Amino acid sequence: MAIAMTEERSAGTGRPSVRVLADRCAGCQECVLRCPTGALGMDTDRWVATADDERCVGCRQCVRTCPFSAIVVEGPAMVAPRVSGTTAHPESVLADISEVRQGFTDWEAALAEAQRCLACPDPTCVRGCPAHNDIPAFVAAIRDRDLAGAHEVLQRTSVLADVCSRVCNQAAQCEGACTWSLAGEAPVAIGQLERFVTDHAPVPPPVRGPDADVSVGVVGAGPAAIGAAWSLIEAGASVTVYEKDPVPSGLLGWGIPDFTLPQAVAQRPWRQLEAAGVELRCDAEVDADGIERLLTEHDAVIVAAGASIPVRPPIPGADLDGVTDATTFLKTGQAALEAEGGRDRWLAAMGFTPGVHGGSAGHVLVLGAGNTAMDVARTARRLGLDATCVDWLDRRFALARPDELDEAWREGVGVRFSRTVTRLEGDAKRVRRAYLARTVQPSADRMPKVQRGEQETLAVDLVVMAMGYRVDPAIAGALPGTPVRRQAAGLPDRRWMASGVLANPASEFAFHNPVGQLALGREVGLQTASLPVRERVWVIGDTLTGPATVVEAMAQGRRAASAIMAGRPSRPGKGRAGPRRALVCYASVGGRTAGVAHKVAEELTAKGLAVRVLPIDRVGREELAATDLLVVGSWVEGLVVAKVGPARAARAWLDGLPRLGGVPAAVFCTYEIDPRATLDVMAKALESRGARVVASSALRRGGDDVAAIALARRTLAGARDEVAAAGVLNGS
Amino acid sequence: MAIDLQQHRSTGQADPIPAAVHLRPAVRSGIEERFGASDPEPGLELTRNPRVARLVRNRKFQFLLILPNQIVFWTVIFVGLAGTAVPGLNFGAAITWYVWFCLVFVMMVVVGRAWCAMCPFGGFAEWVQRRTFWQRTQKVLGLGRKFPEPLARLGFLIPVASFLLLTWIEEFFNIAGPGNPADTSWMVVGIVSSALIFFLVFERRTFCRYVCPLSTLIGTVGSMGSVAGFRTKDREVCLSCQTKDCMRGGNDGYGCPWYTWPGSADSNLSCGLCSECFKGCSEGNVGLFLQKPLTSVIVPRRRRADVAWGIAILWGLVVFQQFNATNVYASMDSWLNKYLLVPHYPDPVDYVGIIAAVTILTAGLVWLIAKALGRNDAVPTGPTNFVDRKSRFRNFFVPMAYGLIPVVGADYFARQLPKFFKHSARVVPAVAHIAGFGSAKSSIYGFHILSDGWIVVVQVLVIVAGTAAAAWATWRIAGRELVPVSRNALAVRLTTLGVVLAFGALASVLYVLMHAAS
Ligand code: SF4
Ligand code: SF4
Ligand code: SF4
Ligand code: SF4
Ligand code: SF4
Ligand code: SF4
Repeated sequence: MAIAMTEERSAGTGRPSVRVLADRCAGCQECVLRCPTGALGMDTDRWVATADDERCVGCRQCVRTCPFSAIVVEGPAMVAPRVSGTTAHPESVLADISEVRQGFTDWEAALAEAQRCLACPDPTCVRGCPAHNDIPAFVAAIRDRDLAGAHEVLQRTSVLADVCSRVCNQAAQCEGACTWSLAGEAPVAIGQLERFVTDHAPVPPPVRGPDADVSVGVVGAGPAAIGAAWSLIEAGASVTVYEKDPVPSGLLGWGIPDFTLPQAVAQRPWRQLEAAGVELRCDAEVDADGIERLLTEHDAVIVAAGASIPVRPPIPGADLDGVTDATTFLKTGQAALEAEGGRDRWLAAMGFTPGVHGGSAGHVLVLGAGNTAMDVARTARRLGLDATCVDWLDRRFALARPDELDEAWREGVGVRFSRTVTRLEGDAKRVRRAYLARTVQPSADRMPKVQRGEQETLAVDLVVMAMGYRVDPAIAGALPGTPVRRQAAGLPDRRWMASGVLANPASEFAFHNPVGQLALGREVGLQTASLPVRERVWVIGDTLTGPATVVEAMAQGRRAASAIMAGRPSRPGKGRAGPRRALVCYASVGGRTAGVAHKVAEELTAKGLAVRVLPIDRVGREELAATDLLVVGSWVEGLVVAKVGPARAARAWLDGLPRLGGVPAAVFCTYEIDPRATLDVMAKALESRGARVVASSALRRGGDDVAAIALARRTLAGARDEVAAAGVLNGS
Repeated sequence: MAIDLQQHRSTGQADPIPAAVHLRPAVRSGIEERFGASDPEPGLELTRNPRVARLVRNRKFQFLLILPNQIVFWTVIFVGLAGTAVPGLNFGAAITWYVWFCLVFVMMVVVGRAWCAMCPFGGFAEWVQRRTFWQRTQKVLGLGRKFPEPLARLGFLIPVASFLLLTWIEEFFNIAGPGNPADTSWMVVGIVSSALIFFLVFERRTFCRYVCPLSTLIGTVGSMGSVAGFRTKDREVCLSCQTKDCMRGGNDGYGCPWYTWPGSADSNLSCGLCSECFKGCSEGNVGLFLQKPLTSVIVPRRRRADVAWGIAILWGLVVFQQFNATNVYASMDSWLNKYLLVPHYPDPVDYVGIIAAVTILTAGLVWLIAKALGRNDAVPTGPTNFVDRKSRFRNFFVPMAYGLIPVVGADYFARQLPKFFKHSARVVPAVAHIAGFGSAKSSIYGFHILSDGWIVVVQVLVIVAGTAAAAWATWRIAGRELVPVSRNALAVRLTTLGVVLAFGALASVLYVLMHAAS
């Protein structure tokens, strides 16, 4: 029996070859729909996929998306070598604050790189980008030499294209998720292409929309606030921003050194926002009480206060002189580099005598090797100091951008992974020595373990803690439910699974980051940003998720802004309408509960609301954010006496609910014999998330329709009463 | 009802990803030709009844199917090892060989892979693999490997090979006689442990789909059954479905363990009736359909060569099992054993030799028919893989093999009947024996439902019924698939009909001979 195993395998040289496993291919077309080159088709007679080697470029998207692993691709990928922009590597970086990475300087390079993009039908890069920029579309615009078009595409999702393209860790975001990276090839240089657009055509300023009679107060002026203010002003809201520092931009200003993000770029957003009419109040710190005050002045408040408290590990000797934190170091160090003669003054102020250690003024030990630590160390080099970063993570699981790590090395920064500082010692109160122990970290998801035994000693003159930041507990305390963990619970969205971005997490080009999982985690933050944590209060950026990235914060700001503009909250005393949008969701198994849900929805629709009816497993944060009124129904599970309550699926769903920020809600259940405490359990769960339960109903079999209509009416009346109690009711 | 979904899409916090996704349009041409005949009637959908829907949606549904069998089979193992050595009185041996095999056959013919839905071997291994009896867990135990591609390309042939191996072992050690009940236990332990190993090394039900000795037999004979399996209710919904929860696994159901997509299934061949797709599909687009008997034999548009060869080999095996009861075989076998130093029946060489000979003779016969009646211009160029490749011979062989399924199935069934009719009553004293009474002296122990003579009559009747079904199926298949590739329509229909009748006659004659020999 001749078995077809003789098909040519072209591993090594030549073209990629695709084989469909005829026995197992079910003809679902998941691969066909997504093949960028159209190499896959269907044999409709057998209803299995067919492949055309001539058109395949070996991107392996089909392999990642086939639910039955019925397709195999072998052989090399057909992709041109990556074209990169220029990077400056001067002999010495002393006092040099010019930008290190310079991007594509000419069209030729940019066009060559743009050609490498496959314009994937289901672009995984878009899922990898925290803002979900439509990457294939803007890259296509570059190919058409249409920079205005590229900006138009980018501005649909991002207002910081010039900033993000410089500061994003693309390897863990867009580029790490590019299909080429997932296939083990060098990804499209998305960041540099994005930067090319902004370098060669200015970012268009926001255009103030027609007045929408919504006033929003924004606390903070960092990237999250920029994203929010931009969207709000474009939607016609009036926006007032309260910033505690004397200048806006937050982290963009002082946190990221000029050699990565030049001043002019960092200041661009605020220049444009102020010009468009955003009112900026600097030196205006807002504390927990301040939020209450703002709530009386504005229809909505967005808290984007950032995470500003440096994490200080409890190391013996950490209170010595000469131990400082990254914020202080970067703020003062940057200012010193920018000012004429500032460097010498700074060195003297910090107690250094130039030239004691050969050419260098002294040795800075940076605790941490993340991006902030790199910034500190590289700033130290520019100030004329030696710098060593120490991180207890294994090099393989490092948190810094790989290119940044590489640049730091070239600039003479010492980076020691798998080490931790156990003790600091000094003389005359100034720190002089650090003791380092080895650590072992077997995998990315395990904490490193400190090894006992011999310790290394390092002579130091200054120690900078750059181990991250946390949110000011005073603010966090006033914002229930924050910070949220950026970790997706349960089964990932199957549209994400279908795209293949969750497959193959260990590409060397993504520096072994599980890019898909990271992106899904970021999605939690993004979706949560659109839900108020309490009535009329939205929290975004680092205050919401703990320290994250510029692009995430900006994207969250945009989400919160559009949630506000869709929900139209209003401050007390200002007339407002009752709920306009309702969401009826249900857990149903035989269809009866679903029937009641539809009946409730029908009645609400008749009353003029825009209503969605969905089974609970399809209701996520996005759906919850888009409603002014929530109705939840479940069938009653359990034996007659034991374990009676809402259906298990409903309980799990209720337990997983995010903060609902004061949305009026109703609960109902359908039962046969005795619902016991079902409604109570449901109502408590909703109330614990900040919803206000205004009506409830237990429906016994028979008469469902009548009861459903009554419930809908009571719910609406209850919700309107709430509104009336809070202010003046318009319209009805 | 006017519920405005669109408005929220446009005013809500629109997720920007969909705007960047431009999937190619799904291929929709040729759907009617491909699935028109095999799509079941919407009227024959069982879950339209809310009670059925509720039952099937319940995650304990399959668990409750498996549980009784699990209990029986662990009892078989335990009693087989620890109980009496008298096979007829040992519950393990008695239930397995007098009753179980017959019951499984009836289920196949009536339903399809009903046994697979309740199988304690795969069921047990799946519990371990999923770390749960019925819940939907997200993390599986084991390595989750893919079955190696070169082996997977053989489709349903590996199960045939393992069935041949198991049958040889069973004959060699006289397990099914039944002989020593402990041997039955060891055989069951062997199957469970190999299932467990495969479930822990490979993903999903790789074992069931590619290895299990019963898989091809149940799949092919089961295609006579009247349950079409779980299928899509509306193919258009599946084609535009963005999640494919039925394949990847959804909140409430696992991805199809059998690698079957309800959206393209055209027979019940590889649906294990586990109901996972029904639970998983978030569109509620899966139904449990009935179909007319023999539908999955007659109408599937895509015929598979692995299935065809599987049927031919299974036919070879059952003919061997009939032939081995004749005196001719007995003398040949001992003659061979003397030279090959095999201690006793069955000599592996004559075992494999006879099966191969019957298979090749069957294929040869078809080859002659293809040569005599086939049109040379009717060989489309197309796929080159083993399962789908086309040739003039295959134009005839593959559909004709499907047509033979009812005869082959009837033959297997008939072979089990003597044990059932003579000894199935022994299960009663065997059960009693576990409790300490019940003996070989009881009148039930010796009770025969039918006498030997009548058994042969019933056997022949079964074969006649199977042959009639095969004749009907072959006539239809010939009309649909052979006529277009033949030079003479009537000749090909009559010739293939003749082949079926001849096979039926051969099987009947062998039963009479077997009876005469004993
Ligand atoms: S490897 Fe890429 S180009 Fe080739 S068939 Fe698969 S999806 Fe298409
Ligand atoms: S995704 Fe897999 S099963 Fe679906 S058509 Fe493609 S190869 Fe076949
Ligand atoms: S914003 Fe950042 S992640 Fe998104 S495309 Fe631009 S560089 Fe990539
Ligand atoms: S950047 Fe990469 S993933 Fe994105 S569309 Fe281009 S090739 Fe595809
Ligand atoms: S999940 Fe449902 S709708 Fe989607 S392909 Fe499967 S059966 Fe069809
Ligand atoms: S998941 Fe559906 S198609 Fe697959 S074996 Fe189970 S019942 Fe059959």
